[in-house]
Amino acid sequence: MEKQQLHDQLYDNIMDFDGPAAAETAQAIVNNGYDVIEAIQVATEAVNKIGDKFETGEFFLPHLMRAGKAMGQCMKVLSAHLDAEGTAKKKGTVVIAAVSGDIHDIGKNLVGTMLSVHGFDVVDLGVDVNPMEIADAAERENAKFIALSSLMTTSMPYQKDVLEVLNEIGRRDKFYVVVGGGPVTSEYTQSIGADGWGLSAVSAVKVCDELLKAGHKPPVPKIILVE
Amino acid sequence: MPIDRDKIMDVLEKAHKGSICKQFDWDTQVIPDTIVEKLQKFGLEKSCDPANPVNQDLELADRFFEAGIEVAAEVGMLCTDTQRVIEFSRDELQAGLDAAPAEFTLGEGDQVANFKHRQLDDPTPPVWVSPLSIAVTEDVFEPLVEGIASIPEVDCLEGPSFETIWGAPLRAGSPYELLAGKMQAELFHKAIKKAGREGIGLYAVGTSPTHYGVLGGYGVPGGYKPERDIVLILSPVEIKTSYENLLKLAHTYNCGGISYGGSWSMIGGYAGGPEGAALSCIACTIILYNAYQCVNGASFPYDLRTMGNCGRPALWALGLVFQALSRNTHLCANSVLNQTAGPATSMLLYESAVGMMTLAACGASSCTGPRTAGGKYTNYITPLEVRFAGEVFKKSAGMSIGQANDIANKLLPKYEEQLGNPGKGQSFKECYNLTSLTPSDEWQKIYDNVKDEVIDVGIPLD
Repeated sequence: MEKQQLHDQLYDNIMDFDGPAAAETAQAIVNNGYDVIEAIQVATEAVNKIGDKFETGEFFLPHLMRAGKAMGQCMKVLSAHLDAEGTAKKKGTVVIAAVSGDIHDIGKNLVGTMLSVHGFDVVDLGVDVNPMEIADAAERENAKFIALSSLMTTSMPYQKDVLEVLNEIGRRDKFYVVVGGGPVTSEYTQSIGADGWGLSAVSAVKVCDELLKAGHKPPVPKIILVE
Repeated sequence: MPIDRDKIMDVLEKAHKGSICKQFDWDTQVIPDTIVEKLQKFGLEKSCDPANPVNQDLELADRFFEAGIEVAAEVGMLCTDTQRVIEFSRDELQAGLDAAPAEFTLGEGDQVANFKHRQLDDPTPPVWVSPLSIAVTEDVFEPLVEGIASIPEVDCLEGPSFETIWGAPLRAGSPYELLAGKMQAELFHKAIKKAGREGIGLYAVGTSPTHYGVLGGYGVPGGYKPERDIVLILSPVEIKTSYENLLKLAHTYNCGGISYGGSWSMIGGYAGGPEGAALSCIACTIILYNAYQCVNGASFPYDLRTMGNCGRPALWALGLVFQALSRNTHLCANSVLNQTAGPATSMLLYESAVGMMTLAACGASSCTGPRTAGGKYTNYITPLEVRFAGEVFKKSAGMSIGQANDIANKLLPKYEEQLGNPGKGQSFKECYNLTSLTPSDEWQKIYDNVKDEVIDVGIPLD
């Protein structure tokens, strides 16, 4: 099959949220020796389109999550064939969790999906995850970012606990820690010494991108706050 | 209505032996696909009419209810701890709705609050439960509760919630919550005594979202009283339960108490747009009354983009849900109103006026609120907006949905463009005298002006 046909097919697979088909098309692209980076760009265009439709109210959270999963299945095939240059273009791993005592997942899922469709590898630890578990997972996954969600004031102290655990085990300089959730304000973020805060899922992507762009070692000298 | 042990055992059995469903599949396929299918089947797609923020088509509301009971019977409720589905047959669901009381009371002595099923346009005043569990500092809790309990329109209390207890951060799921459960009840008792409202009904335990607060505070000496107070069981979206919820139910049964079943659906979330969210709320409400044998509660919609339910799509969905429940059940359905603006802003009062009036006209038996400033900021809640919302709620009883729609259309333009960026306003400490419990002149003036405005457009607060 011609390259353009395969690209169109990959785009459609993602738009149809069909992960297995997207992986199959990705494999065909690899087997034909076509450029893997170009294929990733096509898949990214599809998820950006889905993101646009979410912003305008045409698509909803399940669409984003299904697109994120399809993108993940496609990327699993493509990333195995990235050359050194391509690997360097990957943005890194984000370990994401709703902290201890918090079982609200909608915001976390939204942020995780937006990050994954924008080129981050996302490891979702789920809800009600304790600080040490989060720190261990970040270490195990060789993460660049730890993203913490709280929808309740009573779970917010655990965001601070994650930072304290990282400090105490001497790993604070290894991970950017970004926080968010309904009651989590920029003022609170500053008070606990996190590296970034985003008001929405879209903001969360900007926060992580800006932290990467600035290139400072965590904890960053100036917190990134995006409304 | 006492909680039936056999029904609890049935729910627990189903939670452990029901069909397996992974949460990702539930969220991304089971719920959205079923909602889309039923919206199509019942001709409900694109029925949201922003020009009529209070739904005027009652046949539409009835179709939503029919679709809702089908959704409930087809999907059931996911138990997130077992990843199994608690399923109910249509007959079981109907029997559960039939078994729920059409009226009940909370509180005791001269503070008894009478909850009754309400029809549309019903002149029976609805019950105002206030405030929501907005976090406050410990020094503010008692004066704030005293100020709120002093408002005659307030029938029962739920919040606020603590940011810390005895100086330590209140951590969800920890022993602090167990302590906080009793601490909140004790401080409530002190504050309501000062306000002359001893005996007022309490919702337990607002400050503790997990089961620990209920275990620590409900039915224990000096805590919440099962004979007059009610346990909050708040289910995660979308139509899910958990051991936390079921533990609360079991504890309520052990104490001989009664339960409130609540949940919500976000427009833009798992159920889709305003129509999907409304349908999900109706289905979820039917399930809540079955799973928790609750006497009060419901699932209510709000908007993921504004995090409130006083904008047009959310208001439409909100009104429709309560119209559907009012016309097709005898439940004492309770809503929650989520405002986005903060104290000492006129927007907060406009949001309250539109939301509370809509709920009163659409047959809600009770409402819990306000969620001042979206509940985002510590100490951003004052008695004055509680009073205003209660006044509107009570005085709008008997208003027709046509009148409510006309008034909503007059008031919405005053704030709807700011919904994405509402004013934070001022904290309780900034706009209230904490000793005399009186608002600042500025906040009082805003209240007076908005009150005049809403009277002018037809809300009978005079």
